[in-house]
Amino acid sequence: MGQPRVFLVDDHELIRSGLRSELAGWVDIVGEADEVEAAIEMIQERTPDVVLLDVHMPAGGGLAVLRAVADKCPATRFLALSVSDAAEDVISIIRAGARGYVTKTISMPDLLDAIYRVAAGDAVFSPRLAGFVLDAFSLEGTNLSPGDVDPDLDLLTPRERQVLRLIARGYSYRDIGTELDISTKTVESHVSSVLRKLQLTNRHQLTNWASERNLN
Amino acid sequence: MAVTTPPRAVIGAPHRPYRRGAQNAILGGVCGGLAIRLGVKERTVRIVFALLALAWGLGLLLYIALWLTLARSGEDESIAQRLLGHRRELYRVIIGLLAIVAILFLLRAIGLPSVGAYTWPFLLTLIGVAAVWHGASTDERHHLHELVKSTPLVGVPASRSRGSFWLRVVLGAILVFAGLVVLRQLGNHRVFINGTQSGWAFGSLAPAIIGTLILLAGVVVLLAPWWLATMNDLSGERRERVRVEERARVAAHLHDSVLQTLTLIERAAGDEAAVVRLARNQERELRRWLFDPDAPSEEGGTFAASLRALQSEIENDYGVRVELVTVGDCDASDDVAALVAAGREAVINAARWSGANTIAVYGEVETDSLSLFVRDQGRGFDVEAIPSDRQGIALSIRQRMAQRGGTVVLKSTPSAGTDVQLTLPHH
Repeated sequence: MGQPRVFLVDDHELIRSGLRSELAGWVDIVGEADEVEAAIEMIQERTPDVVLLDVHMPAGGGLAVLRAVADKCPATRFLALSVSDAAEDVISIIRAGARGYVTKTISMPDLLDAIYRVAAGDAVFSPRLAGFVLDAFSLEGTNLSPGDVDPDLDLLTPRERQVLRLIARGYSYRDIGTELDISTKTVESHVSSVLRKLQLTNRHQLTNWASERNLN
Repeated sequence: MAVTTPPRAVIGAPHRPYRRGAQNAILGGVCGGLAIRLGVKERTVRIVFALLALAWGLGLLLYIALWLTLARSGEDESIAQRLLGHRRELYRVIIGLLAIVAILFLLRAIGLPSVGAYTWPFLLTLIGVAAVWHGASTDERHHLHELVKSTPLVGVPASRSRGSFWLRVVLGAILVFAGLVVLRQLGNHRVFINGTQSGWAFGSLAPAIIGTLILLAGVVVLLAPWWLATMNDLSGERRERVRVEERARVAAHLHDSVLQTLTLIERAAGDEAAVVRLARNQERELRRWLFDPDAPSEEGGTFAASLRALQSEIENDYGVRVELVTVGDCDASDDVAALVAAGREAVINAARWSGANTIAVYGEVETDSLSLFVRDQGRGFDVEAIPSDRQGIALSIRQRMAQRGGTVVLKSTPSAGTDVQLTLPHH
């Protein structure tokens, strides 16, 4: 695979120019936008492989871009990049279809790794996101009747829990593979499966949990 | 005591005690509340009250009496109790009543008792309305405000065009006139029946009330838009004040924190370590203020809070980044304190010796165990051959955990990093 075609969306010129100069040579930057409207238009026009999406922007932020574009550009994948790691922001942008969420404190090699991973169709979980998912899915049984639970969507397998726990502890996918004695590919498929559950589960606790967590 | 009743009447299921309805109220919730209390349809109760109102205004008097003396669902005091509790409001009502008596005496003295005969119900009703308005809770006041606002001809949408303005004036004037005519009938009626000017005939109460209502409706139609506009001005003013206060609060916080730190950073521009430490401290503080405003203070209280305190301490003292993730939480206890203390040794160890600039700390509370993981990707060491100067730390971690029946797993690979896993049973 050649260099992934990347599009930047961020309302801060400083952040965009920083990303531009650091990513130059490693990815093909096909455009950038500093506001929601322009982003929606240009992403549809240029159909990049990966959109680096800022979560907090005026006029709806990354969520608005994702909601407007996700259906129209099935080949484009979104990686949320934000200063906030508040549960509500993280959970809502993932549920809107982003393939990953990293904070802006991420190191450049890790960000590059994340971009390549998302471009290849995998999911990228920051330690914090993994912690949120473990927290949110551990509420099960509290007030769900057995009939309401779809085990395919509403519960994590023990293996998925193990993988998430290791991500939360700061392990890379490769380290996780070594630790659990499985291939990196298998780790990736576990994470993708968690992402799918996170996006598709109907459990309303997830949204409640995220907004309540911000209040606590 | 505040009692909350169900939002709607459940047919056939009476519910004690009797409170005025909040959700199913049209005006004061007297009928809605009674429907809930008796377990019958709201509409049935309303029709009965309307019929009673025709019988010498009995329904209306009953309605107003209940409105004043019965607490609303979810509130602890009735309007009357609230008025009695506030001297100023009470004085206003008493002064209003005295004024009516004075006016009636005056009218009688100047030989116009029939005027008094049709003014007193009107004045009394006005006082009742004022009493309800002053004694109502904020919630109920809001409900009444919305009610007036959504009434056709009276509400805000109706007051936009010139046409509706004139319609309102004409209609209001007609209503006022009609009300006065009805009340005038009452005056004649009374004089005709009693002949003398002493005493007020009870039988004349129904026309008195009907006339009063028509008159009152006319006044409301005429004056409500003006009253609503005043109300809106007031609430707009309140909003503006809140906004200004909020802005001042944010400005004060930014000044005390971010602006101060930026000045410090400028001054420390040559010292890279100091700049990083300042920036990181400020980032953490601002992040907490923005995204986690109600988090308990760092001094502890819970497992997660004591880990956050540990994170700040290490980042400040050693200039490394501590990536903290917690899953679940529990109140502080001796177990929590021991686990965090052991974890602290492990984190300090990593900060001092590993050479890594990031340390990952992961704490998890499960139903039967507490765990804490400390990991760095620094230089690592040979576990079998821990240098003697570092033995102490490993020992103290093991001892702390052993005392509480916990376990320690220490993994380290030279040049790949160290992983310390601490687990305690938890009840």
